[in-house]
Amino acid sequence: MPSNQFLAVMDAAVDAVVLIDHQGLIQAFNRAAERLFGWSAAEVQGRNVSVLMPEPDRSAHDQHLARYHSTGIPHIIGVGRELEAQRRDGHRFPIHLSVGRVDGAEPPQFVGFVRDITVQIETRRTNERLMNVSRMATMGEMAAGIAHELNQPLTAIANYARAGDRFLASPVPDLDETREALREIAAEALRAGSIIRRLRQLVRGGEDKRELVTVTELMEDLRPLAMADAKANDTRLRFELDPHTPRLLVHRVQITQALLNLLRNALESLHGEAAGTREIEIRCRKTQTGDCEIAISDNGPGVAAEILDRMFDPFRTTKPEGTGLGLPMSQTIAQAHGGTVQYQPAAPRGACFTLTLPPAESPHED
Amino acid sequence: MKTKPAVVYVVDDDSGVRSSIRMLLKSIGITATALASAREFLDAFDPEQPGCLVLDIRMPGMSGIELQQQLNLKGAILPVIFITGHGDVPMAVEAMQHGAFDFLQKPFRDQDLIDRIQKALARDRETRSSLHQHSQIRERLESLTPREKDVLKLLTEGKQNKVMAGDLGLSQRTVEIHRAHVMEKMGASSVAQLVRMVLDVKES
Repeated sequence: MPSNQFLAVMDAAVDAVVLIDHQGLIQAFNRAAERLFGWSAAEVQGRNVSVLMPEPDRSAHDQHLARYHSTGIPHIIGVGRELEAQRRDGHRFPIHLSVGRVDGAEPPQFVGFVRDITVQIETRRTNERLMNVSRMATMGEMAAGIAHELNQPLTAIANYARAGDRFLASPVPDLDETREALREIAAEALRAGSIIRRLRQLVRGGEDKRELVTVTELMEDLRPLAMADAKANDTRLRFELDPHTPRLLVHRVQITQALLNLLRNALESLHGEAAGTREIEIRCRKTQTGDCEIAISDNGPGVAAEILDRMFDPFRTTKPEGTGLGLPMSQTIAQAHGGTVQYQPAAPRGACFTLTLPPAESPHED
Repeated sequence: MKTKPAVVYVVDDDSGVRSSIRMLLKSIGITATALASAREFLDAFDPEQPGCLVLDIRMPGMSGIELQQQLNLKGAILPVIFITGHGDVPMAVEAMQHGAFDFLQKPFRDQDLIDRIQKALARDRETRSSLHQHSQIRERLESLTPREKDVLKLLTEGKQNKVMAGDLGLSQRTVEIHRAHVMEKMGASSVAQLVRMVLDVKES
């Protein structure tokens, strides 16, 4: 039996702590465990620990223990794991379990630390859902941008073809003009093709495939969509690239999405400004710590002081048709890449959102 | 009446679209001037130049809508045909409310554009010719003496010579002479035509 001092320490723990013997029988069960599982220590004392598990783990646990005793190869000991546990009332919930072997005890004893991770799992699911929702929204926006871009060469091709047809149909066919029209048709068709190629590069990229890219390549992904959006909003868009920015290991589509979200916010914030004065700058640079910084700044009204502290919360929007997902989405993507999205007011006026990402390689090599 | 030849202006920031429209018009014998921005057009704008304007609704810098507003402020009569992208219908509606001649969605049928341009050119000719007539009528009105103006006013009210003579305190013979001068100076062959002229000028 464990000492009183040990039991006192166990009870002070925030996590549920369960001590079992080599047969899997419960030796000690702390207060947090009582609260978590709905059993009192007295009730489970001496019972098989599998009572805390749902099937199929419940039936398999004795075999796991036996295998460890015969082979000495640990499976869960020393490694934290996410599993499901079962309360007394049958309710199943996600847990993080880490198991250690108690030093010096013979026959061996094992201590398990159990943490309820229901909240974390839900947060994770919400984040995944947010990613999906926003991804769909962004894809729709991308499609609109691409449609607009494709319309231009298509219009030109139709016009040139009709013109060529008419030049040929005249009593004295104008072959020079017809040839010129044909050349232009070819050029415009290639232009349409390159727009589609950029779109495919953007949509491809798989589920969670990270690749090594330069910031310049990221900007090439962003540029056609950004230009289309900026044009649609009568806004002047300026890119400022720095050749010294480090290469990044990123999910290309996601980063483009994150940047597009920030850009769209900037564009929308300029709606109250006179057309012809609206300006956005996308500036890339290497920070002193070697990170890559992509700053999107506008010359609009900036972020109102009263929403500064909650603008990254989901579903907080100041826009009548906003989803409130743009900024949190960008933040989630940045964090998934070990980076951040931060806000500071721009000078002399406006908002500046900065996406910072760590470099793919160590900052020393070049 | 001397008139300059009409010019179709094509203003679109997309070089492919603007050059292709110019070539399309060339293939049916219409000369077009293609410009890359609203600013370029404003700089070259001549109110006396007849023609029409084919204008992209969305452009960086000054948009098509803004150019239209500038032209309206200048009292320009040039008919404007807007070219819009997909989903620009609300903007097109706004443009129509501000007096645009018509609008077309990209990509459009060539014949639709050509028909609209020809109608716009016809409209421009009519507007200019009636404006020209109006200015001629005004000049003629200015050339009348005060007494002749009095006679003109009573004449267009349908008064007889005898009544006018009484109203103006003149002999009937003098009224007849004034009346003949008015008809001659205004270039009117009948009282009905005279009334029409005066009404036209008043309406405009």
